[in-house]
Amino acid sequence: MDLRTLQQWMQGAVLQSTPADREKVAQTFLASPQLDANERLAIYQRSYLLRLLSCLREQFPALCHALGEELFDGFAREYLLASPSESYTLCDLGRRFPSYLESSRPDREAPPAERETWIDFMVDLSTFERTVFVMFDAPGHEGQPFATVETPDANLRLQPCFALHESRFPVAEYYHQVKSGQSPALPPCEPTCTALVRTNYTIRSLPLTPPQFTFLRVLSAGTPVPSALPALAPGLPAASSRRAWLAVRERWIEGGMFV
Amino acid sequence: MNTGPNPDGASPPNSSGLVGGLPRLGLGLGLRSAHFPHILTEWPQVDWFEAISENFMDSGGRPRHIIRQVAERYPVVLHGVSLSIGSTAPLDMDYLAKLKALAAEVRPAWVSDHLCWTGVLGLNTHDLLPLPLTEESLAHVSARVRQVQDFLERPLILENPSTYVSFAQSRLSEPEFLRRLSYDTGCGLLLDVNNVYVTCFNAGADPVEYLRAFPCERVVQMHLAGHLNCGSHLIDTHDQPVRRAVWELFRYAWQHTGGVATLLEWDGNIPSFAECLAEVHKARQFMAGDFDPAQVRPEPAREMETVSNPVSFLIPEVTAELERATA
Repeated sequence: MDLRTLQQWMQGAVLQSTPADREKVAQTFLASPQLDANERLAIYQRSYLLRLLSCLREQFPALCHALGEELFDGFAREYLLASPSESYTLCDLGRRFPSYLESSRPDREAPPAERETWIDFMVDLSTFERTVFVMFDAPGHEGQPFATVETPDANLRLQPCFALHESRFPVAEYYHQVKSGQSPALPPCEPTCTALVRTNYTIRSLPLTPPQFTFLRVLSAGTPVPSALPALAPGLPAASSRRAWLAVRERWIEGGMFV
Repeated sequence: MNTGPNPDGASPPNSSGLVGGLPRLGLGLGLRSAHFPHILTEWPQVDWFEAISENFMDSGGRPRHIIRQVAERYPVVLHGVSLSIGSTAPLDMDYLAKLKALAAEVRPAWVSDHLCWTGVLGLNTHDLLPLPLTEESLAHVSARVRQVQDFLERPLILENPSTYVSFAQSRLSEPEFLRRLSYDTGCGLLLDVNNVYVTCFNAGADPVEYLRAFPCERVVQMHLAGHLNCGSHLIDTHDQPVRRAVWELFRYAWQHTGGVATLLEWDGNIPSFAECLAEVHKARQFMAGDFDPAQVRPEPAREMETVSNPVSFLIPEVTAELERATA
């Protein structure tokens, strides 16, 4: 077997995407004084799963709490089989996990109203956790000047390490409770909007009203603040949106949302 | 890149080309996130740090900020786990470009990785998988080492991995493979003494013979670490103190490499910085004295198997410091 063929075969055996032919394993690897060839290969097979399951548990701690480790590992194992890592960095390992949970749900053919809400929660929570994980190490604005309350509205720009999250459940609150050592119950449906902002390498979550969420989404698309203001008070006079803006402006600027 | 003499040529054995000019850094520790707060507040006395390249090369956040500060105050070495030098898949030039950029920023004393492969066909096992030690593998790895060195514009330092299988088709011993690779390409070697012990135990080979055959003149760095004894096999876990047998091998290696930079890896159940430092400083007890092969024997303990190459070795601990902001 040439090196290319050998590596392709061995990778399949380690990933266990295809069961390894025991006889071929015995021909490929030598036995040790204590273990036969299949037992030796099994060390790599076990380590692969243990390592990546451990990694996913670290990347989705609140989801792991919500599901319990055994059930989480079951989903994660299926995910790894369906979507083995394609990246040199384990930071990418969980990238497709939320979409996998959504696409593999057993009730995916049912109308939305008839679907299991706990699965909706898992999908939303995993999406939120992935966002937080990515923001942790994303390019930010640390070490550079932020906007101040004196900065004219027309010059305000959202800082680079900023994200918006919309959920059918209060997932940010659930996440905070898990991270602080509590054991929260699965929350009932309650649409929530959250902004995530990183300053000084710490991410903060900020609950938003639906108009605030829309306003910030418009800003994310590159619209200047003055043009986006109507989104803060939809259907109301300009004075109302101006008031809504002034109610949050200083706090958001001081929270590092703008540069 | 012509970086070293050929062993078949007239060059004296200790003339090691560019790698021979690399500094002897002393006793160092792996830079781990569990120790970041201590390091950044205390700036402890330690000779040098080794950073896992992948934990910093993509970072736009705190890890990159930290390594910049650490590199300003300590000698730093970049140690990779994803180069996949032995893979038959094409070299990942995007990865190499990021590694080169990180090296330009951090100015490491050298850049190292493992004699292994991590994946093919666009997939990654995130493990340091062994190669069959054949002429075909040697030619393949040599060509890629030259390519990497030309791209990085520096010699590559390659480590002997811990292995759990041996290939029936192997025709070269690992020391011989590394000797020829090193002289052929000019790359340096990172001798992981614990990996020698783990690999030899798992293959039923003699670690003393392994070390005696190793091209110590090409070694620029050593690794020390703890391992797990599962009875039937050893696992390279980096989660406990260095075993007595490994210390004895270190004594031999220290004397035959002339005292190269030595680093303790501790990646699971990481104790305090002070405890890690005390562990690596134990090396001073094993630098002199007569090598005693009788000490190179497994300890009787039988422990439950755990994962090799702990995740914390491969990925920074994500503390995701998420705070609530007021509404």
